[in-house]
Amino acid sequence: MSTAAMEGVERGSLLAGGTRTRLLQAGPAEASEAVVFLHGNPGSADDWIGMAGAAAEAGRRAVAFDLPDFGETIAPSGFEHDVPGYARFVDQALTELGIEHAHLVLHDFGGPIGLAWAAMRPDAVASVTLIDTGLLPGYRWHVLARIWRTPVLGELFQATATRRAFRSLLNLREPRGLPREFAEAMYDHYDSRTRKAVLALYRATDDPGGMSEALIGLFAEREIPALVIWGEHDAYLPWSFAARQREAFPGAEVHVLPASGHWPFADAPETAERLLREFLEALPPDRG
Amino acid sequence: MPSTDSHSPIIGDDPAYDAVIVGASLAGCAAAIQLGRAGLSVAVVEKQPDPNAFKRMCSHFIQASAVPTLERLELLEPIEAAGGQRPRVRIWTRWGWIEAPAERAARGVNLRREVLDPLVRKAAAATAGVEMLLGWSLERLLREGGGFGGIAVRNREGEERELRARLTVGADGRDSRTAELSGVPVKTYPHNRFAYGGYFEGGAPANAPDATAWFLDPQWCAAFPTDNDLTFYAAMPTKDRLPEFRKEPEAALVRFLSDVPEAPPIRAGRAIEPVIGKIEMTNRMRKPVAPGLALIGDAALATDPLFGVGCGWAIQSSEWLAESVMAALRGDESLEQGLERYRRRHRRELGAHAFFIHDYATGRKLNPAERLMFSAAARDPEMATRFDAFGTRQVRPQQAMPRLIPRAVAVNARHALAR
Repeated sequence: MSTAAMEGVERGSLLAGGTRTRLLQAGPAEASEAVVFLHGNPGSADDWIGMAGAAAEAGRRAVAFDLPDFGETIAPSGFEHDVPGYARFVDQALTELGIEHAHLVLHDFGGPIGLAWAAMRPDAVASVTLIDTGLLPGYRWHVLARIWRTPVLGELFQATATRRAFRSLLNLREPRGLPREFAEAMYDHYDSRTRKAVLALYRATDDPGGMSEALIGLFAEREIPALVIWGEHDAYLPWSFAARQREAFPGAEVHVLPASGHWPFADAPETAERLLREFLEALPPDRG
Repeated sequence: MPSTDSHSPIIGDDPAYDAVIVGASLAGCAAAIQLGRAGLSVAVVEKQPDPNAFKRMCSHFIQASAVPTLERLELLEPIEAAGGQRPRVRIWTRWGWIEAPAERAARGVNLRREVLDPLVRKAAAATAGVEMLLGWSLERLLREGGGFGGIAVRNREGEERELRARLTVGADGRDSRTAELSGVPVKTYPHNRFAYGGYFEGGAPANAPDATAWFLDPQWCAAFPTDNDLTFYAAMPTKDRLPEFRKEPEAALVRFLSDVPEAPPIRAGRAIEPVIGKIEMTNRMRKPVAPGLALIGDAALATDPLFGVGCGWAIQSSEWLAESVMAALRGDESLEQGLERYRRRHRRELGAHAFFIHDYATGRKLNPAERLMFSAAARDPEMATRFDAFGTRQVRPQQAMPRLIPRAVAVNARHALAR
């Protein structure tokens, strides 16, 4: 991530949905229109330091937070580890933050969660940036997800995911590997709570493409500005879905990065940050 | 008398030339210069009436392998005087840049075909013994004994002529009509990438005038700085990326090049003409000879433009042919012997290169052996120098591999241990 973009990103915390979550903020703190970053799995608010800086450079308020049981944030008792449960948490967090209009920036499982929230509050969506995620009509779970979804096998996998095994598996499936500190931080957060949450979330999501048809109709007629960034070497969610996001977001600008994998903002930070900054700069100014 | 006039007189009704060449592009003109200089009579027939015609879809890169031939043709100096650049080649890989040390890197030639083609054609037309017939198209091949003995041509007014010659040369490119009419055996190899490119003013890449290629595996793009501070930007993606390019070629090209690692500043430039593309580029390898007939340049081997070998090999193959048949055309041996010599030379020089190129043209990703070599070349200057000599086609694969593979293994073993 570029150092320039990291400056001005402040760490804090937020009480929302019955828990205290870690919060990254940048740009004008009082704005009611903000760029809202939702991480995937495994991931945390930390994924977005560089990208949040880029959004602030575009003059926008940027917020990123841990989803419950990811990063360092503990889910409240009774929390439902499924897409609707996480979408409700996002809604509570945005209410706490005073955000009325959101430019969603979504990665991986942050995609289904963020789009489910968007379906709940379509009028609050100012734009959508999809990074290796989106609507996935006809998608069949990747092999890791199928392992996680299998009782016993999933638990066994999580129990044997040592730091070394985790890093090897991660880098094996990335075209250029991930920056070491990025991968290390990811593992640091991949604790037993996160591992359990991952199993619950994937097991609760039977058909990752299931909601697509309904959502495509809902979003397409609203002509939401959209940016799609996809690593061509994504081993989990194939880039062939990138152009298909135009079914829901007809005006989407689509960039398939030819040397990137599943985490373009980690393996091509300059490009990902530039694309986001330029996309945000080209949108109408904040509504307030 | 040499002339570039499309209505040049044909001396006599049934002239007999030592050689008649179909196609006045790089290969045809280079062959004409060499045969003419040897005191032979040569007719060059070109369907384009305009002496300034040029090939449009071309990266115009001439590999360093062809530079000695250009020097012997006395074309290198005029090319440089016309603004031709002498680039080294830098290659981006996911393991880092492959860059031979400056003093050891080979230098190719970059001059736009718009300037290069007329320059070479003029040099051919000015060569004693060479007659340039512009605006005449090949109609059919003439039979002579058991082989070919010249061509019948027709101009745009419908006038037809027969040009008899001891040797007929097809230098008419990828879709060679000479080759087609001669019925020489052809092997085709699928090409699963497409190409789009265009000239940009401003927005030159880092290290210009050196050329830069990105091996994004399996995608590919490149920047070729050239004369007049222009840069030819090109992308050769796999066919699944075609829809975006078809829809808006220039925007897709600019987006593609802007999104690569260490991207060139293409967005700071301006396309000076429409970005154009070529979608079907089946590789063709033809038997380069038949009785009384030879094929040179793309007519003999139309291979993947990704490696920028077409122009250089057009020029080089013209020299291999001229050297091979000179004695025969002077009457010192049979033409059959000369053509057989050319066939063997062509296969020895290009056969193994073509094998590797055609395999990669399927659109596949780099295989383990290639990954071994690319990664080692990015890590070790000596390896980069050897790789450069191979990539610029100065050494053949059969010569290069014994020098590349052991060092690549050693470099990567050292790299693994150091980690």
